Amino acid sequence: MFRETERVYTNMSILTGPMNHHLNGHKDLTKNKDVLKTIDPDQVWIPLVNGNAPCKACVSIGDEVKIGTKIAERNDHFYLPLFSPVSGTVTGVEKFMTSGMAQAEHLCITNDHKHEKVRAFEPFDYEKASWEEVLDFVRNAGMLGLGGAGFPTYVKYLKPENVELFIVNAVECEPYLTADYKNIEENIDLLRTGTLALFKLSKAAKGCVAIKEDKVEQIEALKKTFEGTPIEIRTVPDLYPMGWERTLVYQLTKKRYDKLPIEAGCILNNASTAIALGNAIDNGMPITHKYVTVSGDALNNPQNVYVPIGTRASVIIDAVGGYIEGTEDVLLIAGGPMMGKTIPNDKFVIMPQNNGLTVLVNRPKDEVKCLRCGRCTETCPSGLQPVRIQMSNAIFDEEELMKLSVMDCIECGMCTWICPSKIDVTENVRRAKNFVRTRMASRAKEAKK
Amino acid sequence: MKFTYKPSPNYRNTQTTSGIMADLTLCLAAIVVFAAVYYGVAFGAAYGFRVIMMTLVSLAAALLTEAAYFKMRGYDVKKEILHSYGWVTALILTLITRLDVSYYALFVCTVVAIIIGKLVFGGFGQNIFNPAAFGEALIMNSFSGSKAAKVTADVFSGATPMAAMNSNGWILSSSAMSGLIKGFGGFGGMLVGTYPSVIGGSCALLILLCGAFLLWRKDIDWHLSVTYLITVFCLSLIVGLIKGAGFNYAVFNVMSGGVLFGTVFMMTDPVTTPITIPGRMVFAVGCAALTLILRWKSNLPDGVLFSILLMNMVTPAIDKLVDGNQIKNAGLIRKKVIYTSIVVLLAALGVGMTLEGVTPAKADNTPSGETAPASEPAGLAVEDFSENNTYCRVWSNTDPAAYVYKCSAKGFEGTNKATITVNADEGTITSITVDEFGDTVSVGDAAVADAELARYAGADLNSEIDATSGATFTSKSLRAMAAAALNMAAGD
Repeated sequence: MFRETERVYTNMSILTGPMNHHLNGHKDLTKNKDVLKTIDPDQVWIPLVNGNAPCKACVSIGDEVKIGTKIAERNDHFYLPLFSPVSGTVTGVEKFMTSGMAQAEHLCITNDHKHEKVRAFEPFDYEKASWEEVLDFVRNAGMLGLGGAGFPTYVKYLKPENVELFIVNAVECEPYLTADYKNIEENIDLLRTGTLALFKLSKAAKGCVAIKEDKVEQIEALKKTFEGTPIEIRTVPDLYPMGWERTLVYQLTKKRYDKLPIEAGCILNNASTAIALGNAIDNGMPITHKYVTVSGDALNNPQNVYVPIGTRASVIIDAVGGYIEGTEDVLLIAGGPMMGKTIPNDKFVIMPQNNGLTVLVNRPKDEVKCLRCGRCTETCPSGLQPVRIQMSNAIFDEEELMKLSVMDCIECGMCTWICPSKIDVTENVRRAKNFVRTRMASRAKEAKK
Repeated sequence: MKFTYKPSPNYRNTQTTSGIMADLTLCLAAIVVFAAVYYGVAFGAAYGFRVIMMTLVSLAAALLTEAAYFKMRGYDVKKEILHSYGWVTALILTLITRLDVSYYALFVCTVVAIIIGKLVFGGFGQNIFNPAAFGEALIMNSFSGSKAAKVTADVFSGATPMAAMNSNGWILSSSAMSGLIKGFGGFGGMLVGTYPSVIGGSCALLILLCGAFLLWRKDIDWHLSVTYLITVFCLSLIVGLIKGAGFNYAVFNVMSGGVLFGTVFMMTDPVTTPITIPGRMVFAVGCAALTLILRWKSNLPDGVLFSILLMNMVTPAIDKLVDGNQIKNAGLIRKKVIYTSIVVLLAALGVGMTLEGVTPAKADNTPSGETAPASEPAGLAVEDFSENNTYCRVWSNTDPAAYVYKCSAKGFEGTNKATITVNADEGTITSITVDEFGDTVSVGDAAVADAELARYAGADLNSEIDATSGATFTSKSLRAMAAAALNMAAGD
């Protein structure tokens, strides 16, 4: 009787919660301040890693490099070149923790502060170039998802079939972060170039820039910039996690998908990725610098900074005026407070996909027992029941966890945020995922034997 | 600088469980205050004071029990009590108890509700049954004799809405239904709650306001409460219309007894109800069906309490039923909710169809207007009073030799009210005094002259009493009230 006959993910609003929630963004801390662009560190460390894959250095110790010199590449099933963000000398390789909390080799470049540039790419006219040439350009320019994933951009566009909507994601739903906002504000023409190039690459019927409806001034500016192009400006409500692919695709098209957005006829890229591509096309420069929001209640002077890739967190925090006096215990978060990881030291460096440093005073929390209110199930954007997963994980019931679709969790943090009992729900779900993953791996190993 | 590691996210909503419980406490306290004022004003200051005292007794029982338990277990007593929210259980338990329950019974049942209902399961968040409902069930089952007799006599001399419906077998004609509602002050009076029932059960308007407040504060989820109310309303509307009790039957079912209090304060207890929205909808439909089935067919005073306890038992099963990814299994979950609800609703309707009034002979099924008023008076037992909208309520039933009833009936253009004393042993009327004369002055008042009223003395159900000439309609209203009072006395 209860067999599912169709595999269409329909919306049933009465039987599901809102699957999102408005968060207090604290964006006014940094939104209207100028971007600090004077940070010029003596040394930068380039993490030789993309995703989980190591990158191979193509310079040796002692080599002279300029801004835009190719210094490393990822060359497994994906290709991704990395470029030097400063001019100077390669002085060593050191292994330490990245902003993704993994140990990785970092290539150290000592800055000579001469700011010598080398034009990495020849002038490129994406309008005249063929589709294949644009794809090659994106691949060789080392474009990667700057919204946080760090996934090589060209891969998404390899087989753009039946794409209905190309989306530039300018939603920036993480609290505290305004880096994308400032980046768009200052580089709106590059955004136009990059968006149109990616739109061409996507072969989509329609294209849009998605932005939160409360950014009224920027919406006006975007409308003016994209006048006469096939790109629409679509506004979305100020909810979290509106910037997540699935939530955004559902908001714009009312479609759900299983694995990749292309199943729903969509391709998405972050606005800063489009700007980076625009920079590569117009100025011939790869990704060397990042807009990073430095914010939080433990800092004297929260603001956005524009820094070379590989700048240490400690250098940036010192440059914006350091911690508020009397602060002794902080949470130093790479990214925003919802999805960003807390790093237990300040040695880590800015990677291309980082867009924030949030520094919060570490306050004790008053955790009480779960009252099974189910609020986590109502706000879960993946439609899971975190509280049930948490209970099943307590008894290590793998079968039950799979029934509860534990692996669909994206760790957006909504369940912990909403929990009135202040339980670390997300962390418990994360542990459940790790438990299932370990069990799967050990079964795979046994099967091999 | 110390860099602490904490797993993401490191951002929290401002709402807390203690905050939710504080809002609940505020609402419950408001209802306690209302009850104290109402009983104090209507029945004397001592009864208002009794409301407060019962609340304090229950609170003391809950807090002392928890303190002793946490002390024995070696926990931090103050912290655990603050996070165990036992006072909410105590307040709810007091408010669903009748005012005539003895302090002793209330104290013992609070202690048992806290220990067996909550602590033995592992404390707050782990209990299967709603602790307050558990405690009240115990009072009803084990302490029904432990009553303060004077309170019973003073406050509960008349029937509560639930008892009135019970004595009628939960189905009446549409006009009798209106009469019954009128006896509790009409829907206006029932909304304000100026009639004795369980301590916190009568003030519909205040409970609804509390519900709105809790919804606005996002302390409770609307799905369960609204589904429950709609289901109770629709089910009783269908049964009411088919059985001739009319639209008022449905409104009465929603407004009376524990329906509103239960849905705002007890079914929204997240600990003992399903986690997901589809689960809560199934819970609500099941609760509504059981509430009505128990009202109709059990000999419990009300069905709300036991419907909650029964559904608490199946909560884990409901959680299992609608498990899984809510997006990917949307169609499946929807089907499960719909099929389960249909089965439950049909069962309830089936039970509703078997309803018959307790005294079908008395039940007047003749549609009004079809029969002309009888020109000649006949015996009171057979005369047709269907157009008089007679209503009678017990004023005193302590001495069978002098049962007192307050009655009202429609006369020529208004409603007449009278106090009738009946000798129940002999089944005769002792006296009639008219409290309120609503008919035409200097026409109808001929019928209410002392000499005319004296003719009723000694009359029984078989008596034929002639109409006062010139005041036919007023006389008929008097006969209607006399017949009703005699019928009620015979029923007792």
